[in-house]
Amino acid sequence: MEKLLTIKDLKVYYPIRSGILNKVTGHIKAVDGVDLSIEPGKTYGIIGESGSGKSTIGKTIAGLEKATSGQIKYQGVDVLHSRARKKINYNKDVQMIFQDSLSSLNPKKKIKDIIAQPLKNFERLSELELKKRIKDIIEVVGLDEDSLHKYPHQFSGGQRQRIDIARAIATRPKLIIADEPVSALDLSVQAQVLNYLKKIQQEYQVAYLFISHDLGVVYHMCDTLAIMHRGRFVEVGEREDIYQDPQHIYTKRLLAAIPQVDIAKRQENKSRRQQIEEEFLKNMASGYDENGRPYPLKRLSATHLVAKKGDE
Amino acid sequence: MEKNMVAQKDDSAFQMVKREFLRDKWALTCLVLLSIVLLTIFVWSLFLDQDKVMTVDILRQYERPGVDGMLLGADQGGRDVLAMLILGAKNSIMIGLAVTVLMLVIGILFGVIAGYYGGIVDNLMMRFLDFMMTLPMLLLVIVIVSIIPHYTMMTFVLVMGAFYWVSTARLIRSKALSEARKDYISAAKTSGTSDLRIIFGELIPNLSSIIVVEAILSLTANIGIEVGLTFLGFGLPDSVPSLGTLISYAQDPDVLTAKFWVWLPASLLILFICVGISYVGNVVRRTLDARQRLG
Amino acid sequence: MAKTIIRRLLIMIPELVILSILVFMLAKLMPGDPFTGLLTPQTSAEQIHQLKVQAGLYDPWYVQYWHWIVRMFHGDLGMSYQFKSPVASLIAERATNTLWLSLLTVILSYAIAIPLGVVAGRYENSKKDKLIQFYSFVVYAIPAFVFYLLGVYIFGYKLHWFPTSGSVSVNAEEGMSYLFSRIDHMILPAVLMALLSTTSIIQYLRSEIIDNTNQDFVKTARAKGVSERSVFWKHILRNSLLPIAAFFGYSITGLLGGSIFVETIFGYPGMGLLFMDSIGSRDYSVITALVMLYGALNLLGTLLSDIVLSIVDPRVRIE
Repeated sequence: MEKLLTIKDLKVYYPIRSGILNKVTGHIKAVDGVDLSIEPGKTYGIIGESGSGKSTIGKTIAGLEKATSGQIKYQGVDVLHSRARKKINYNKDVQMIFQDSLSSLNPKKKIKDIIAQPLKNFERLSELELKKRIKDIIEVVGLDEDSLHKYPHQFSGGQRQRIDIARAIATRPKLIIADEPVSALDLSVQAQVLNYLKKIQQEYQVAYLFISHDLGVVYHMCDTLAIMHRGRFVEVGEREDIYQDPQHIYTKRLLAAIPQVDIAKRQENKSRRQQIEEEFLKNMASGYDENGRPYPLKRLSATHLVAKKGDE
Repeated sequence: MEKNMVAQKDDSAFQMVKREFLRDKWALTCLVLLSIVLLTIFVWSLFLDQDKVMTVDILRQYERPGVDGMLLGADQGGRDVLAMLILGAKNSIMIGLAVTVLMLVIGILFGVIAGYYGGIVDNLMMRFLDFMMTLPMLLLVIVIVSIIPHYTMMTFVLVMGAFYWVSTARLIRSKALSEARKDYISAAKTSGTSDLRIIFGELIPNLSSIIVVEAILSLTANIGIEVGLTFLGFGLPDSVPSLGTLISYAQDPDVLTAKFWVWLPASLLILFICVGISYVGNVVRRTLDARQRLG
Repeated sequence: MAKTIIRRLLIMIPELVILSILVFMLAKLMPGDPFTGLLTPQTSAEQIHQLKVQAGLYDPWYVQYWHWIVRMFHGDLGMSYQFKSPVASLIAERATNTLWLSLLTVILSYAIAIPLGVVAGRYENSKKDKLIQFYSFVVYAIPAFVFYLLGVYIFGYKLHWFPTSGSVSVNAEEGMSYLFSRIDHMILPAVLMALLSTTSIIQYLRSEIIDNTNQDFVKTARAKGVSERSVFWKHILRNSLLPIAAFFGYSITGLLGGSIFVETIFGYPGMGLLFMDSIGSRDYSVITALVMLYGALNLLGTLLSDIVLSIVDPRVRIE
């Protein structure tokens, strides 16, 4: 199957300026050499803690951040530079959903105008067609027509997130980058929103780049997962590979950190977690080089890759 | 038992401000009084003929109030003080408005561009702004005014606007900086909206409450500065009625003590207008700040 | 922190240069020159022309600019056309007057503002607080010169409490009576100016105290059993007072600008009055020198403020 999006050796560095003359003295390596490829209609997940660089990857793919080096190809076309993206109307096909639904919707705009925005920019629709499209979209995310005339602050967090999704799917994109879409929602609402995302994927064949810090959430959504730490991928694999057979110490540590509400086994879980934390700190060398940088990925199987010390 | 200021989430900014004025009796009184005064000034001035008012009539020099139909007496040139007061107030307010508008336009443009683009653009613009702030503006305005050959009200507005936009720009820039980092701006970018459209369609509308407050408070400052400059002799020309000119007569100790009707009404009027507008502006600001916090 | 100071000083240099170029260009735009007024039946137009050539008035602008800068560094600011004396000495004698007035004003403004701010902050939302806030607000909204005018009218002319013009009484003899006369003349303008500048200090102090009162360290002190009075003076006040030291620098800027109005209304012979007189008589050498001076003082004032603030308030310390 032809890949929708491929990234090779993507690097996003931010310069650090110091000294009297504000010279560049170093770099913050937000993304430090990442490869990935996303297939149409599938979900690719990136899991990591804050500061791992996962949001930066998402923003760079969406065109909000500038890549320092590397290659991004969309359907075979190089889209690293904004001019190239503009030429092929990249954002019509590649959209983004944001974490904070309150700040991602313009508080002064009505819902119908928010959803209309991408449509007006990328498609030529008549007044009537536009109205119908918006109505259809809002129904897809489970809200009624009345919502279109309201303002964002009149909705709950979960509803706002669904509006954000509605805006993202307006132009029938092929890829949606979801940056922590449910992290700000109550647990009960999370499932609901995730289900809508799944439904949309099935109906419209949308691919997702699902960015999260929550392994529990991601389990239900993703076909392929990448664990990210310090700007690099430390393990990549399918769902079974990661959850059943984690190889990298960081992956193990993340898995251990999934909260388990099992009161009887409370003590057992706690000591297991502590043990893994100790192991992690002891075995840093197995997954990270002398600079603390994760090793490059080595292939374990057709679907499973791990950052390992190799011979280079 | 007072009605609380906490609004329903559905309130628009305007409704909330309206509610606050109805609740706060002082604010309401001030607003009403101010409106009455301003309205009177503007309506009355329609009935006054500026040229006739400014014609000198030596026979009536320094007439006391009440004489000859002049409720506030006459000045050195025998001109009706009350009429000059009304016309002068109108002029000062109009100029204040014009300067405020000019200042807002320049300041907002500067501020949002610096705030939206950030980075190097912001750095350079702030450097420039910092430099402008170190200039002794009052002095420079006076110097420039004294140099300009053909001097009109329009030139005056331009000169004032050219310097006093700086503090507005600073304020707008800091708000724009934080607002532009919000996700809905990013969302607009990914929706394919052009930068220009984003700045005018998304960013500036969300700065509207700050802009309104800044406009009102600057208005009072600008009126004050204009009258002050005219007082010094570097504002409106003598042939144009103005509050500043009336007040400037007080520099003559004789007028100051013996002929107070010339300058005292003008001083009190400007005091009332400035304090009034300032108070109203502060009430609006207080309300909108609270609204911000409600989200 | 030394780094920041150095950086600020470095930035000041181009700012001063640009300022000087600006002032120079303004000076060139002003019609007239120092010599035209010297034209008398004794001096011919030819001699005037020679004087002008000698003074370098026909040199290209950058040469003139350079000469002006060099002369400035040597303390030669040109000749005052109106007073027929060197500008530098003219400014120097006026400057001392303005300096004393400003000093008195600053002292008074802190002396008035601090107690008021403390009371307002301590008794938040009480009648006292509301009154102080009201006063603060009115004083802020009034156009300054109206305030001065009413002040001199009420306290000078009507009540005869203070003299209404000049820096010193004509009859004062050397010694103590001279000193008293000087101060006597300064009090009213200084008090009025001080009242106007108290606003920002009061507001800042008040909000600092209120913020600090709600801080955890105060709650801790209370929980430890420290008396309320002690809590206030030792803990809250100490933290709140320091930052207002920074206003000292900012007030320099305000005072310089304000001095024009004050000195005009009070006939006080300081730099502000000198400026107004020079504008009136088109004495350009004085005008340019004053504008340059004010600009430089502004820059220094801001820098001073920032330095004081960063020393005094560790939160603001710029690394």
